[in-house]
Amino acid sequence: MAAFGGSYLSSVLIGTVAVLLLLGLWEAALHFFEVPVWLAPKPSDFLARLYTDRALIAGHAFWTSLTIVQGFTLGVLVAVPLALAIVSIGALERGLYPVIVFLNIMPKTVIGPILIIWFGIGPLVAALIVFLMSFFPVLVDSMSGFRLIDRRLFYISRSMGASSWQTFWKVRLPAALPHIFSGMKIGVVKAVEGVIIAEFIASNKGLGFMILRASAFMDMTLMFSGLVAAAIVALMFNGAMSIISQWLMPWSRH
Amino acid sequence: MADMKTRTPSGLVHPVGGAIAAGASINARGLTKVFGSGENAFHALGPIDLDIKPGEFVSIIGPSGCGKSTTMLLVTGLEPSSAGTVEIDGKLLTAPISEIGIVFQDHLLLDFRTAIKNVMLQQEMRGLDKAALRERADALFERLGLAGAENRYPWQLSGGMRQRVSIARALVHDPSMLLMDEPFGALDAITRTQIRHDLEMLWLETRKTVLFITHSIEEAVGLSDRVLVMSKSPGTIVEEIVIDLPRPRPAHLGEYPEFSKYAERIYRIFEKLGVYKF
Repeated sequence: MAAFGGSYLSSVLIGTVAVLLLLGLWEAALHFFEVPVWLAPKPSDFLARLYTDRALIAGHAFWTSLTIVQGFTLGVLVAVPLALAIVSIGALERGLYPVIVFLNIMPKTVIGPILIIWFGIGPLVAALIVFLMSFFPVLVDSMSGFRLIDRRLFYISRSMGASSWQTFWKVRLPAALPHIFSGMKIGVVKAVEGVIIAEFIASNKGLGFMILRASAFMDMTLMFSGLVAAAIVALMFNGAMSIISQWLMPWSRH
Repeated sequence: MADMKTRTPSGLVHPVGGAIAAGASINARGLTKVFGSGENAFHALGPIDLDIKPGEFVSIIGPSGCGKSTTMLLVTGLEPSSAGTVEIDGKLLTAPISEIGIVFQDHLLLDFRTAIKNVMLQQEMRGLDKAALRERADALFERLGLAGAENRYPWQLSGGMRQRVSIARALVHDPSMLLMDEPFGALDAITRTQIRHDLEMLWLETRKTVLFITHSIEEAVGLSDRVLVMSKSPGTIVEEIVIDLPRPRPAHLGEYPEFSKYAERIYRIFEKLGVYKF
């Protein structure tokens, strides 16, 4: 086997076999002990439900994904410029940053009920909670990205007669990009974690809402199908982040 | 000491091209740098006077923290001076000049750009003609033994090659002045000797004015027309030594008995300054 693709293929193979083995064991155990489906569904139950109720589940998965995209995009759009401002302006670093750190310590979900009063129950409130959860890691890593640049690069840039705009676009921003992206990777994880909780408390759409409602009806199978769907959404977003970062930063593979 | 200060004679060997000065002259008067103010003020440098002729290769040597690097930054206006004036080609310096190339101890290449794109950053920032600059870049790559490394990223290059790319970046726009702050300080001894020679050959062809900051007596004597020795806090120039050795200079400088005399001369000054405590 070629060493290049081989290691990747074989790791996928091993992973698949492990998952199949686990599901098989699960199926067999529940079957053997005759566990009722309302207590714990077998993989065959909830995987079948994933197919039969695919329209319902996909609809909620779509809302969950949209909420993540909205909240996370807003988080990045606010965090990166704010990071640059905080790093560049000393007063902001001393004045604003401690406030942001304090706000971050506060559990984000407690803001949920307040946001519901302001905006009403719906995906918008969930998106705002996702924003609050994913914003901070992006901010912190972007700050260190903007700060860690070697000051002498600015001498070199200035010796080229570069404007501060050119220096930002051609030197500072791309130099900070790997840090911004590592913040975004953490931010995405926070977002997919947060979105389900946000939908539990504050939405009438999305996988979180669907799972909560299924719980009210004791529909254990649908709850497990929702869980699998949420995992697939999380995988999709993490994968998309890796692909985008590879595409934007082909140099950072070392 | 006076016998060492003889002016470079016509016996200087220039194998490639004539000695047409393409470099700028640098004249500084009373250059001073004080960091901070009031009680905490730190008088880092000066006042120093500098007179560097067009096309001259001048080294500044001195102990760590004596203000060598600061001198380089003040001369180009990249850092503002606390007092004193600088004239480049007779014109008073009021803003940072950009007719220069800089090389630092660390290559400071952008790790998200390939070797050639790092060099072509000069063209992008300055808005120069792309084809013409690319031609110059290719010639410099060829000249510096970098052919074939154009599309590699800095992390794919050896330390010596990275520093060569850094030199190419500093020269691709044909500046009148090359400023080097311990450019070979991070390289191993063998690479250092080779790159020293390559730089000398390049300089002989192009005759930029070079201000070379170094810790190394061997580099200073091996490369320079003139060595300025600096003392510490505040940094001042305590001695000027004209290096009258033929060019290009050999790898093993010990071939010249004069080399040891120059080297010993600098050691003696360092001893007097208390740089060494044996």
